[in-house]
Amino acid sequence: MRAKAIVLWLAVGLPLLWGVYKTLQNAAKLFH
Amino acid sequence: MAAAFLSKEATIAPLDYNRILVPPAALAAHLSIGQVYAFSVFNIPLTRLIGITHSAPVGADGVGDWTSNDVVIIFSIAIAVLGTAAALFGRWVERVGPRKSMFVAALCFAGGFIVSAIGVHYHWLLLLYLGYGVLGGCGLGIGYISPVSTLIKWFPDRPGMATGIAIMGFGGGALIASPLSVWLMDHFKTPSSNGVLETFATMGVMYFMFMMIGVYAARVPAEGWKPAGWVPPATPQRLVTQAHVAVDVAWKTPQFWLLWVVLCMNVTAGIAVISQASPMIQEIFAGRVNAEIAAGFVGLLSLFNMIGRFFWASASDYLGRRNTYIVFFALGILLYSTVPSLGRAGSLPLFVAAFVIILSMYGGGFATIPAYLRDVFGTMHVGAIHGRLLTAWSVAGVLGPELMSILRDDRIKNGVPKAQAYSVTMYVLCGFLLLGLICNICMRPVHERYHHREPAPPRSPT
Repeated sequence: MRAKAIVLWLAVGLPLLWGVYKTLQNAAKLFH
Repeated sequence: MAAAFLSKEATIAPLDYNRILVPPAALAAHLSIGQVYAFSVFNIPLTRLIGITHSAPVGADGVGDWTSNDVVIIFSIAIAVLGTAAALFGRWVERVGPRKSMFVAALCFAGGFIVSAIGVHYHWLLLLYLGYGVLGGCGLGIGYISPVSTLIKWFPDRPGMATGIAIMGFGGGALIASPLSVWLMDHFKTPSSNGVLETFATMGVMYFMFMMIGVYAARVPAEGWKPAGWVPPATPQRLVTQAHVAVDVAWKTPQFWLLWVVLCMNVTAGIAVISQASPMIQEIFAGRVNAEIAAGFVGLLSLFNMIGRFFWASASDYLGRRNTYIVFFALGILLYSTVPSLGRAGSLPLFVAAFVIILSMYGGGFATIPAYLRDVFGTMHVGAIHGRLLTAWSVAGVLGPELMSILRDDRIKNGVPKAQAYSVTMYVLCGFLLLGLICNICMRPVHERYHHREPAPPRSPT
């Protein structure tokens, strides 16, 4: 069950982290 | 076989099921449908389907590119249908359970993209209104409420945090969809196409598959299940009921309408800012902030909209729901009334800081409301009641942007410089927040005469 939980959380967490990274990359221009 | 897999009975979890497996199902649904917040990235490409690099004017044959006004209606239809579908299908979602409703939501949402791709192919705008707007909007409404009551039942000890995780996904969906859409359009772009058709088709397939994670992982707790070691508090907080109120009774109570106004006012204030965020910061800080920097500001607002959903909803488990909304409204009034001064002082970091806090409370309002409903009306029909309350979002979705736009244009027409054209709007929004604060303070427990007399119906029909 633990492996299943890790797979499920990675499946939804990785795209979200990618989205957060791209957003922060964009937002950094605000303070340059 | 498929019908059996989708049935509510098939989703009842064994007593030793680990509830940590449930939030990803909700996140898969909400991260997908949250794409709607990023639909504006298609606005300009959709007005250049014929001209490709520019918007082709209507020629002698009557054929030309769609205008910006034609295209922005797609988003408005989708949001209006979201609220309506959530209200209409709430009871059905409660009856059939999260798996079947998420599956239907995936079919509608992905189907909306496919129908829109066909509309782009034939350059027929009505298909986009019916596709993404109506069909996709139904997917948004059903997908939004599908996992909420399930999560509340899995996390009776932390209902705010649980719904915060799910509804955080709706805010996070835009963070993924915005760069993804741009990347896909760039990838499919050719000299004769700007790639919108292929992007719609690809996103339809991708989101359908992603939402299947939610369909697969959706589970409801067995009757009588409780978290290990958890004992319901002997003396619950004053507004937290142990009783249940049926959905058809709930909307006749004053509490439902007080909460409707609370949600509507909080969303109106936030969505007004979102709708004008980019031009607003460019006009207030003219010469310092260009369109590219403003896009960074909009991205930051989206990020805090998402963070606020988890943060404030989790905090509400400790603060209490009513107190959390008191913070939203009181701090909101303070911040909205300070923004004009920050703009005049030219303080960009403080201006940005004020708005990221405001947007965190906008998201927090959405994420805290299901737990508030659960406190006031019990868990029996909380999903369906939540669906009906979301009509407040539909109203706010029109009211906020219209108000912001009308007030700004009026000030500019009266000779006010663009940089100061937003001040009056901010003070008007303070008035909206004050109304929300009063309604929230007026919240009292639901009278016993509204309580459901029979035991709550079993979660699986026998």
